Amino acid sequence: MVVLAVAVPGSAATARAQRLDLSISPGVIAIPTADPDVMPAVSSAPVAVNYRIRQNNRQAWLLTVQANGDLESGASTIDIAAVSWTATPSPPFQNGTLSKSMAQTVASGTGNVAAPSTGAITFTLANSWTYDAGLYSQTLVFTLSTP
Amino acid sequence: MRCEAILLALLLGQPPVSGPASATAALSVSVGSHGRVSFTSLTLVFPNANPDQVPVVPAAPAAIAVAARARTPPNAQVTLTVQAADDLRSGTTTLPASLIAWEATGPGFVPGTLSRDEASLVATWTGSGVHAGSQQYGFQNSWSHPPGTYSVTIVYTMSMP
Repeated sequence: MVVLAVAVPGSAATARAQRLDLSISPGVIAIPTADPDVMPAVSSAPVAVNYRIRQNNRQAWLLTVQANGDLESGASTIDIAAVSWTATPSPPFQNGTLSKSMAQTVASGTGNVAAPSTGAITFTLANSWTYDAGLYSQTLVFTLSTP
Repeated sequence: MRCEAILLALLLGQPPVSGPASATAALSVSVGSHGRVSFTSLTLVFPNANPDQVPVVPAAPAAIAVAARARTPPNAQVTLTVQAADDLRSGTTTLPASLIAWEATGPGFVPGTLSRDEASLVATWTGSGVHAGSQQYGFQNSWSHPPGTYSVTIVYTMSMP
């Protein structure tokens, strides 16, 4: 057992599991209606992404978002790819487009984010005359992970 | 025994893998009903003409392109109508607005006759989208019309739920 203590680089603390904290605020992201000719793109208020990564030991971390499906209002749908986002600060955040089939990268980095940190995401719908009128909704799943 | 100890040391050199952290948010998008109609010209002119030679005077421009944009609940009916605000008027002299009629081209567009008393159907569609067509107005010429320059305002109305 003496051999074990000498051979392990780093301290006992690095052998603990990563601690990942993530929260999104507000829980409901609202995009208002608008005349498509007046506003070809309609945006939400900025959404706060609060995250913290500890005991990550210089490893990469990844924040993704994936929609559970297209926007739905009864039988009417809008392709979720019509919703894109802009995010700050960059890095670690990046802009992107929602997908229902594949998780999209929102932010990425390496090591720890020791202090609680916040990013801002603004979601934007490509407005169109072809949409059926209605109140559409869908769930977005944000995932903070390490490899 | 020594080899087993070294292997154990290497495994502990990496932090144990923890599960990812997840958070969900509900995306809510309000898509309201909106309508907009536009025309390539807001003025129509019927020039003077000999009634024997030109019994129906075509307007200038010959055609008005109409673009109607509508966003409605699913399968809702959209109608575009036109109504004259008055009869054709030249001072105190009047001619019936119904002397003006139109032919139409484009999906949903129908021919019709102008009226002062009721709205006349120009086009009808179902559901959301951008709809385009044109109207070709004509004025029923006659020797009995008193000479003058007549004018009238016509009002288009797009209706939907």
